[in-house]
Parts: sequence; structure tokens; C-alpha cells
Amino acid sequence: MARGESKDHCSEVKSVAMKNGYFQTRIRGIYKYISENLYLNRPDIFIKDESFNSTLLFGLLTGLNRGKELIIGEPGLGKTTSAEYVGSILYRYPLGVIWGSEVSGHPEQTEEKIIGRPHLGELNKGRERVVWSNFAQIPVKIVDEINRLPETKQSMILNGVDRGNWEYLNEILINDEYSLFATANYQDRGTNTIIAPLIDRFDILVESRHPGSNIAYTIGKEALSHNPLRHPQYEKELQQILRGDNSYEEKMALAEGVCDFFGEYLKEKLGIEGLSKEERRKINEERMGLDFDIDANAFVRMTLAELSFCHKFGQKRSVEVCEDGCHYTGYLCHHIKNCASNRLPMSIRNYAQTLAWFLEDDEVDLEHIRLIMPYVLAHRLQWKDSYLSKKEGEARNDPFQIYLVKEATEEILQRYNEQRDYLLEALSVGYRACAGEAITPLEGDHPIYEEIKKDIGAKDEKSL
Amino acid sequence: MKNPFEAFHQAGVRKREIPLDKILKSKEETLTKILSGYEDLLKNEAKDLVWLMQYSTVIKAYSIAEKGMEGLEYTAEDIEEFCYALDHSDQIPYLITGPAGVYISVLCNHAKEEEICLHLQDLNVKINLLGYRLPANKKLIVEGNVGDFTGIGLDGGELIIEGSGKNYTGAGMKRGKIVIRHNLGFNTGHGMTGGELIVGGRIKGLGKIVGGKVYERDQLIFPTEGIKPLYV
Amino acid sequence: MEVEDIIQKLWSRVRRKHLYPQLPLPTVIEGGEDCALEIKSKQLSISSAFYEKLKGKMDGEEIVEAVLDHGITHYMYCPWDFHTHITLYNEAKKVVRQKDQAQRATTYFMDVVTDTYCVKEKDTKIATLYKNLPKSGVHEVLAALYEKIWGEDLGTGGHEELVNRLARIPYLERKRWRESIKKFTEVIQGILEKEVANEQQSSRRESNPMGEHSLENYSLEEIDRGLREFASAVEDLQEFKETVEDLKEELEGKGYSAGGMGRGKGNPIDANLLYYMKLAESYTLPIRKLPIEKRGYLHPHAHKPWEIGKPFADIDLWTSFGKIIPGITQIWTKREGETHGEFEGTPDCLIIIDSSGSMINPREKLSYAVLGAVCACNAYLKHESRAAVYNFSDALRGNKVVLEFNHDKERIYQAICRYFGGGTALDPDDITYLLSCAKKPDIFIITDMQITNLEKLIDFFKKIENRVTAVHLGTNVHTARFKDGTDKRTNISLFNVKNKEDIPKIVLGKVKEYLTSSSEWR
Repeated sequence: MARGESKDHCSEVKSVAMKNGYFQTRIRGIYKYISENLYLNRPDIFIKDESFNSTLLFGLLTGLNRGKELIIGEPGLGKTTSAEYVGSILYRYPLGVIWGSEVSGHPEQTEEKIIGRPHLGELNKGRERVVWSNFAQIPVKIVDEINRLPETKQSMILNGVDRGNWEYLNEILINDEYSLFATANYQDRGTNTIIAPLIDRFDILVESRHPGSNIAYTIGKEALSHNPLRHPQYEKELQQILRGDNSYEEKMALAEGVCDFFGEYLKEKLGIEGLSKEERRKINEERMGLDFDIDANAFVRMTLAELSFCHKFGQKRSVEVCEDGCHYTGYLCHHIKNCASNRLPMSIRNYAQTLAWFLEDDEVDLEHIRLIMPYVLAHRLQWKDSYLSKKEGEARNDPFQIYLVKEATEEILQRYNEQRDYLLEALSVGYRACAGEAITPLEGDHPIYEEIKKDIGAKDEKSL
Repeated sequence: MKNPFEAFHQAGVRKREIPLDKILKSKEETLTKILSGYEDLLKNEAKDLVWLMQYSTVIKAYSIAEKGMEGLEYTAEDIEEFCYALDHSDQIPYLITGPAGVYISVLCNHAKEEEICLHLQDLNVKINLLGYRLPANKKLIVEGNVGDFTGIGLDGGELIIEGSGKNYTGAGMKRGKIVIRHNLGFNTGHGMTGGELIVGGRIKGLGKIVGGKVYERDQLIFPTEGIKPLYV
Repeated sequence: MEVEDIIQKLWSRVRRKHLYPQLPLPTVIEGGEDCALEIKSKQLSISSAFYEKLKGKMDGEEIVEAVLDHGITHYMYCPWDFHTHITLYNEAKKVVRQKDQAQRATTYFMDVVTDTYCVKEKDTKIATLYKNLPKSGVHEVLAALYEKIWGEDLGTGGHEELVNRLARIPYLERKRWRESIKKFTEVIQGILEKEVANEQQSSRRESNPMGEHSLENYSLEEIDRGLREFASAVEDLQEFKETVEDLKEELEGKGYSAGGMGRGKGNPIDANLLYYMKLAESYTLPIRKLPIEKRGYLHPHAHKPWEIGKPFADIDLWTSFGKIIPGITQIWTKREGETHGEFEGTPDCLIIIDSSGSMINPREKLSYAVLGAVCACNAYLKHESRAAVYNFSDALRGNKVVLEFNHDKERIYQAICRYFGGGTALDPDDITYLLSCAKKPDIFIITDMQITNLEKLIDFFKKIENRVTAVHLGTNVHTARFKDGTDKRTNISLFNVKNKEDIPKIVLGKVKEYLTSSSEWR
């Protein structure tokens, strides 16, 4: 097989017996390798009798489901490096290419550095041709310290972050697959807020935490002189491909060829197997085939109801303040200012399915939802000051944003637990009503019952 | 449009009924009927939410209440639930203690049990007219304080109040026994013709008593040397 | 070990049944054979002796599963949290008036609720477990109750009168638990008294076969949160006080103290202080965010396309690639940089509170004046400032507390909650002294203005430059006089409060205003 030619994996992938857990085993191998050698950490989440480090786990899930992850944390705690390692191994890009493609957040960033620039030679000849940046081209996109980008620059990358569409000088580049990792330090001098439309486009928020003094000591002690994920030769080849004059599709095909070689190198030298494009596609297909079980389904609807419902104003709006004395003051809708966007259920679905796939479960259940919910919601909710001030003094193990949603998730789960049967019946009645049956919707205290009534066209009789 | 509830079309809900469900359902149904009777009484008797405490209105209210609860099966606990609902429930839009007391008296007088205990300590209101016409085979124990006209027209039964009463207690009682553990107000025993009224605490004032006996802190205070029956 | 193996086998299924509670894998203990389960800070522990005792009568897996069902449902449903637990205890205490009996009533009630919920909602063998347990005293009555309300034969019976009354209680309606536990306790009160009396005679306490419920079930954080919610929910300070006094020993034994957790054993809990502390946690201001500051100089902020006619001076040659062509050339837009700044500091706070006879005694009833004062203190302490207290009644006769500026919350609360109940006169010299101890502190004065030397106070306030917030209840000739006397002073805000419940909100509103403008404070 000549270098530079992409290997056709389709037939090979198809011929490999899709053993139960075949890909999952490989991903676990990647997790284990990174955890033991590159990103030393402590587990901080527990699911199905297993413990994981949230940053690493969610990084892998992001890489698998083409998600967008925002990583926060104190400086120097491995926010960027965790993303680099995950991206490098999953997508089989040598680390040097990842480094060369990162966008760093600072106020002097320009569109030309982030997205692309005119080809100078062609420009001098009076022709327009775009030289796309590595960041725009490669599927592993890392924006370092995104909250140091001024707001105008943040707006500039909205479309690219959201859909993988990059535009410059009337040319457009559309990524057919990508994962985005953005890091942000906590607020200090020189940082801005991340604008609301941009923050909503992130699927999850995780914190890269301090690993504890004992592990931190070993990091210092065992720092490697060279990074095993680097490969100067392949890096050079990839840089040449990315700089080249081919079309984006041709470049990606060529790059995949080099990535195959790098993948073999990883397997031979480090004992880990990255994923080819076809394999990533297959995994995505597999995980999208996982259904939500009935409890997970109902619970997510219940949560969405609490995050979007407003009895007085029709729906939650950040410009409309909910007053005391409303019938629903016991629910989340009373404690938050904004309304949940439609990206939220998409994020829940993608990550819950990916997590269930990773754990080799047959379907998505409540435990998966409960685990990912805080990370999916943490950056999206604007809490009322009164609620924040009550909670901020409480002891916790997570950053405040994530802690709030963990608490909220447990409260919703308790409500679900109490009225599970009744809620399922209400949803079943909803089905029958939508199917044309003349049936009275069930009444209940929770916003979900009002939402069901609205969906089937029944009137809300509750007084304000 | 796609049915958004598609996933729940076969949401087989496991509905396990236990006897507790039936007990509570039956209790609710009984309470609803009792409340309905009370509302009917109010509609008939308390026009514009005003009810005048008069001999004739009490008798009339009593007979309307009796009619309203014909055929109703209930227990002493249902009466207590009704008393609690009077004070705490949204089901009853307004509480007028006079008709409420008459109604409760009817319920007690016609209950199957011979001994009824009502735990009314937690009520914020003091109900009037409790124990009205309590018949000979009945014993009514009320834990808590009561209002005016308690035990009026007592007709042979035993009424025990584990608390204090207010005015006109035992007025017009014919026979039977009223025991008040603590204090009473004015016009105690007014118009009583027989029976015993035993008060553990203080009596602020006696009414015009015709017959019977009144005790205050184990002392017989009527009839005594100083106070004789009204018509001797 | 057998029980451990069974737990390993069943655990994932049981967890799924109960919708995945966040509980660690249960352990096995060498407990007493009469007590199946121990719950300590979310850790369920099954007694192997209990298991051995029952093994002959029931399938081993069924025993373990039933016990786990019971334990998990306590965690997931009743009581769910410490607030619910002490609320139930508080209601039971209203009936029996004795701590021990109230605790038992609460335990039994929670067990009935839990087991009934399990039997109705989950697939469980709890009924079979009860059938095989020995029954006496209260447990016999409860077993008879279970027979009636579950429709299961548990090999018991009798106690018809009690059971008929107990069976009417809506155990599965959470909103009615407060009322239900009272009815429950009323019915079993007689048996509880007998039980306690028997135990006193025999000096042996009968354990609850399904485990006891105490503060050991909860972590310090859960207790802290529960007390806060309880303080907000009770109608009366006395209720809170009584409950905390009852639990004082256990709280102190766990290391809980009014000042906060982790202060170690040996700090006695003052229930009154704790009440206001917890209540004030519901009225708090968030930590002030870093202010956005202008940096004072222009910097290149963003590019925009250059158009013919626009000046050349701001052209960015680099991004324009050396070309002056519309569509390619870009110019810089500049603006003054805005970034997160630093806190300049927050002033200290002096609280002047009136505790004369006309004000409510905060140790007997909820005093919104005291609550407002502690809210203000909390807000300043949270911003790392200090607070001082001048609590006065008839100050000229020594009825006063002068607490200098400090960070000690407990001392400040004690000073605020002190009640004299005497005449009303303050000594401006005391205030002068306190003001001299800090750099231009903010002043909050809460009073009904019926101060005998009000003129002195007005004269005093006329001379100072500190920010002053005066909150008074009601309107009278004194408040009018104060208003007239201080009207022209821009640093003095006067609030006449009609509903005393508004005091904390007014105080906090003013604190918020002060703190957000603190960047001007030097």
C-alpha cells in the first residue's frame, strides 16, 4: 500500500466480526493508557460499579460523538493537554499537528489566524483563493482559553463551532466530522464572559481537577522527556498535506492515509488502537441505535418541562421574572432565569447514548442520564441570585455550576421516583389523545402535566 | 404531525392496588358526602353567610342536617376527619361555627358507636353547639377547647370536654352529664332543667338555672344556700 | 461469605428496581440478630446474625432483597432528607411531648410509610419478611396494620380498634405526612408509653428489627441543610428551639456546632442563635462578582472591512496582506479595554439594634428586626468585612452590649440576640467609640424609634458621613421627628416598614446597593 493513499477500511471493518464490546474494549484501552501515562488523575464519577475521571471520560465521549466540550479549571491542571491527548489518539493525529492547529484565545486573534486567509500568490495575481487554517480543516479542534477571545471574535466562530461551517472570502468549508474542545480558566483579570449563543453551543462542561498531591508529585517525577504521541515524520507529512493545494475532501483522504500509519505506530509502540474514520462512523451508528428506556425518556421530559415551563408567562424567558407565590415555586423553573434551548435534549441524547454504548448497555437508562445531566446543563442554566446565594455556602466536591445541577438532578429524580407510575400513565394518555382518542388528560402538580395538556390541545384550568 | 408520545403507547403501568387504597377511597367518598351535607345545610340556613343563634334556627338546622345525612354510612373517625377538614381543607369555602356545630352534633348523635372521641386540639376555631341533644346512650369525648352553647339541650348522654368551653354551656340541658376539665364562660347552665354539669376549673358566671346540679372544682355550687333554682 | 455474595448478585437488580439510588454497595456487619439493617451516612449494612436467624424460614436472597428494599426506600422516599425527618419528629412531639416516645413514633411511622410504599410500588418480599419476624408490643400492632392495609397474611391479628384507626391514615401522601404522623402517634401513644415503661423496668431496649433512625443516618452537610430548611418552615421559634434542644446531645456528639461544622466537639449549641443563623441563610446576597473595569487605554479590538473613504491610519497591513483593496483590506476598530478588575474592598458594618421592651424578645418569638440585623451582618462577613454590634435598651443604665468589630459570627449573633426589654435610650458616645474602630463603616439601625433621647441621636447622625440605613416599624411622632431631622442628609436612608416580614429584604436591598458601589470606597 503506497503512502498517501487512503486505505479502504469499509470492507475490512465489515469483515471484522462485530464482537460485543470490540470497539468498547479499544476505547477502554485508550482511556487506560491516557489515564496511566499521560493525564494522571483521580476518578470522580461512578456508574455501574465503575469509576472514571470525568474529564477523561467526557473527553472520549466528545471525541466519539462529535461533540463540543468546554473544559474549565485552574491554570495548569491539564485542561488543554487532556483534550490534545484524546484528540490525538482517537483521531490518530500526531500531537504536533494538534498543537499546530490550536487556536489560542487572546484579544489580538484575527479571522485570518482562526479560519483562513487569502492565498498571497494568487492574491498578487488578482485571484481570490482561500488558504484554510489547520484549525478549520482537521477534525480535532481545540480553542485554548476561549474566554480570552473578545466577544466579537467569539461571534465569528459561532457557525463553525455549531455546524463545522467555515466561511471566508465567499468560500465555504464544511467539516464532515469534528470534535471541538475549548478550555477556559476561571474569571480573572483579562478574561471575558463567553457569549450566550456560544456557550449554548457547547454540549458539556467539565472541570479538569487537581489530581491530589500524591499523583501530582508523580507527574512531576515521571515527566517524560519526549511525548509518545509525537511523530515528527508523520507530522511533517500531515502539515504538507494540509498546506497543499488539493481540495478539502482530497486532503482529508490523504491525511487519513497518514493517520493510518500513525495508528499502526500507536498500536505497535504504545499498544493502543486509535480509530479510523470509518470506525468512528460505525461507532456513531451503533450508539445512535441505542434507545432510551421508558424511565430515561420520561425523566428527560420531566426535566425539560421544569427548565422551560412558566405558568404565568407561557414559557421561561430570561427577560421575564418569575414572582413568588406561583403554584410551581417548588420546581426548577422558579430558580432559573432562562429557558432551556433545543440543543439541550440533543446533547443529552448524544452523550447518554455514547455513554451507554461505551458501557456496553443495551439501552440508555436513568443512570446514564443522571450521570451526564449535570455536565450537560451546568453551563446552560442561569440561576437566580437568591438561589445561588443560598447554595454557595454548601460543602461540595464539584465546581459550583456542576454542583447546583447535580443537586437539582437529584431533586427531580426524587419527584420522578414518587410519581413515576402516574406520569407514565399521563404520557400514555397523551399518546392516546394525540392518536385521536377522546380522553381526558391526567392532572398533576408538575409542569409536565401542563405540557402534556398543551400538546394535546387541552386547556390549562389552573389559576395563576 | 408525529405523535410526540409514541414511546409511551405501551407504557404498561403496573397498578397494584392494596387494601389501603380502597380504605382511603372509601374514606374520601364518605367525607365528600358529609361535606356535601354540610354545604346543603349552609345553603339553606346561612344565607349571606349570616346565621343567627336562636332557638328556632337551631332546631331547624338540626332537622335539615338530619335529613341531609339520611342513609349515610360513617364512623366516628369520619366525624373527626370532617372536623379537621372544616379547619384545614380548601374544600370548605367558609366555616360558620354554629351550623358546623349542629351538623357535627347530628353526626355524633346518629353515629353507630356509643362512644365517640373527637381530637380537636389542633383546630384553630372553637366550634359552637357541640353535643347538642346528645341522647342517653351516647358518650362524646372532645379533646381540645370548644365554643359557645356546648351541650345545650343534652338529652341523657355524657359529654366530656378535655379543655375549656365558652358561654352558655349546658344551656337547656334536660338530663345526662357534662364534664368540663378546665374553665367556662358566662351564662353557664342557663335554662337547664336537669342533669349534672361538672367543671374542673373556673366558671365565670352562671345563667338562670331551673334544675339539675352544677359543680365547680368539686364543690357543688348549684343548688346551694346562696343560689336556688329559678322556679322553686 | 454468603450474605456478601448474595448482595453482589442482587445489587444491580435492586438498584435498577429503585431507579439507581446513589448508594455504595452494602456491606455486611456482625450485628445483633434482632436488627436487620444499619444505615450510616448512606452506607447500608446488613446484619449477618439477622440473616442467619431468618435463613431457615425464608429464602436467603429474598431476605437480603427485602432488607435492601427497605433501606433503599428510606433513602429514596421516606424520609429522603434530614429536614423531613425532623419535621416528622417535631409533629410527633406535639402529641406525645416526650423525646423518646416521639423518636420511636417517628421511626415507626417512617417504617410504615417505607414498607407500604415498597409493597405498593415495587416487587418486594417485605411482607414475607415481616411474616417471619417475631412480633411483640408495637411491632405486633404494626404487623396487624400491615395485614389490613397490604392484604397479606402475616400470621398476626387482633388490635382491631387501633388497626382500624391506623388504617385510615394516608401514608403515601407526602404532603399530608405532617398531619398523618400526628394521627399515627395519637393512636399508638398508649403502646409507646407502655414500651418505654417496660424498658425502664427491664433496663433493656428492644431494637427495631428494621433498623433505627437517628442522626447517624445523615452527614453533617445534610444536617446543616436540613436545619436551614426546618428553620424556614417552622411557624414558631419555639418549635425549632425545642427540637434542637432535644437533639442537642446528638448534634454535639457529631461535631455539629452553631458556628459551622467541623469545629469539633465541645461547642455547646445555642438553639436561638442557630435558628437565626439558619433562617438568615435563606436571605443572603451572592458573593459580589469581579467588577468590569475600563483599562483606560485604547487597544485594537476587532477588524472590519475597509471602505473607500475611510482613513488609512488604522489599516492593519498584516491582515490586509499589504493590499489596499476593498474586500481584502481591513482596519482596526479600537476601544477601551474592559476586563475583570479586582475588589477595592468593602467597608465594615455597625449594627445598632433596639432591644427595649417594645421590641419582640428574639428568644421567644421570631424577631424580624433581629433577622434583618443578622442578614446585614452575614452579607458583610461574607465579603470579608467585619461587623460590630451596639445592642441597646436603656444604655445609660448599662443595658447595652457593645461588641467591637470582628469576624466571629457567633459572637456577633449573640450580641444581636441579646434582649434587655427595658427602657429605650442610647449613648452616642458608645457609637462614636465603635465608629472610631473602623474606617467609615456602614451603619444599620433597626428600632421602633421610641427612643427617649432621640434628639441626641438625630444630632449625632447629622454630624457623621457614614452611610446610614435606618429601619423602623410603624409611624409615630418619633419617626416623623427623625425623618425631619435627617431629611437633608443624603447619606441617610430611612425606611418605614409596614410588614415586619419586609425588614430583611429592605436591609439586604440596601446592603446590595452599598456593596455594588463599594468600588468608590477607599
